[in-house]
Amino acid sequence: MAEQNKKPGILRELFNTFFAKHWPVWVGGITLGFLNILLFAVKSPWGASGGINNWGENVFKLLGVSAFENASPTGTNLYAMLCLILIVGSFVGALLSKEFALRIPPKGEIVKGFIGGGLMAIGATLGLGCTIGSFFSGVPALSGGAIIFTIGLFVGTIVALKYLLWEMEKFPKVSSGKSFTFLAASEKNGKWQVWLGWMVFASVLVLAYRVAGTNGVLAWFIISGLLMGLICQRSRFCIVKAFRDPFMTGESDGSVGVMAGLVITLIGFTAIKYFGVGVGETIRAREMSWVFEQFWLRGLLGGFIFGIGMTVAGGCAVGTLWRVGEGQVKLWMSALGFLLISPISKKYIVPGIVDLLPHTMKFKNYLPDYIGYAGAFMLVLAIILIWYVFVKWNERTGRFSAF
Amino acid sequence: MDVKITLDCKGLSCPMPMMKLAKAMKELSSGEVLEMLGTDPGTKSDLPKWCEKTGNEMLEESDAGGGVFRYLIKKA
Repeated sequence: MAEQNKKPGILRELFNTFFAKHWPVWVGGITLGFLNILLFAVKSPWGASGGINNWGENVFKLLGVSAFENASPTGTNLYAMLCLILIVGSFVGALLSKEFALRIPPKGEIVKGFIGGGLMAIGATLGLGCTIGSFFSGVPALSGGAIIFTIGLFVGTIVALKYLLWEMEKFPKVSSGKSFTFLAASEKNGKWQVWLGWMVFASVLVLAYRVAGTNGVLAWFIISGLLMGLICQRSRFCIVKAFRDPFMTGESDGSVGVMAGLVITLIGFTAIKYFGVGVGETIRAREMSWVFEQFWLRGLLGGFIFGIGMTVAGGCAVGTLWRVGEGQVKLWMSALGFLLISPISKKYIVPGIVDLLPHTMKFKNYLPDYIGYAGAFMLVLAIILIWYVFVKWNERTGRFSAF
Repeated sequence: MDVKITLDCKGLSCPMPMMKLAKAMKELSSGEVLEMLGTDPGTKSDLPKWCEKTGNEMLEESDAGGGVFRYLIKKA
């Protein structure tokens, strides 16, 4: 009888399903892909760097910098709110699973966080998107430019991983030294995190409910941000990990999780574009959603710089955001670097560089224009399949792994 | 238990703990045990997967208090 009494209640068991252990990354990938499709059906696909750029513009506006006085308020900007609430969603996920703590790393790591964030900002403003807009959303949006951006990302990640390995060998002090952890929950003493988690969760729902009366789309973005942050934190969904780990430990789970999300998103986005699902736009406008003019060196170079930045920071745009919510101070610095450098890069650095880069307006960037919907769909699917075979083969053989 | 090396990864976030661990394990001989201290929740799922892949054995995973997790890993 005593044994039976110990069995958790049904609701407790349900709670444990979500918050006792991390979810497999593919569960995160698929659910994020599903929410991304809904975002597109309601308005437009998931993106992260634009939202962070908006925060930066508002910071400069607050500081009285006249160049940014026309920045749209964060409270009404869909993507700025999506990013902000994504942090809150991750905070909720971390609290409910008692994983929240302020984790202050050694000084060298703090500097790396800031530099990585700054590089991501330059890469995103140059390459027109980040690992979400120009990869996780851009590739399923059948954008040729996104594929070019992704190639750049890949190369940047490998180069920066080589740097990290070299740094660890030659300058181990950068990643060691004094660190501090505050507010962590222990097994016995952590109930406050769960209570606070529920309170924050409920507050965001109330916020969405209040916004829904005047701006239904914004309310939807708020709810999506909450769920996306929570899903990312629980599944540790991370695009840097997906690109990096096969070349580091040889692990493929992170990559496969991202691929699962890409395939789901590909199916949904293709349907939305093919049938022109969505109100108030022509089919062409719908088709060209998240297809940016980054062909070709602009995308390649932007992706490359972004890839370096995210690997040094240890989190891409979304990986940074959800780790901010979890209390990782290195990624706070990365977010700070990103938001401060992004508006400056967009306004002052990128326009000067872009004119120098070879690019063509003749290439429309939308793959179905050239190879049809079936062709574009199969091409993207084939790329994902090749990537899958590569990471699985590499996991077995360790051919390209550093360790 | 005889712990050969203690690896302090407190405060570090992904990928530094796993990189440092993989490097440190290279320097151990078969059967020797490494103690790792870390605060990144990611390690909780990365480490068992890595052990499974490499054949190293995770002997213990415990809460050392103050948000620090302690892992004991035996080299294959």
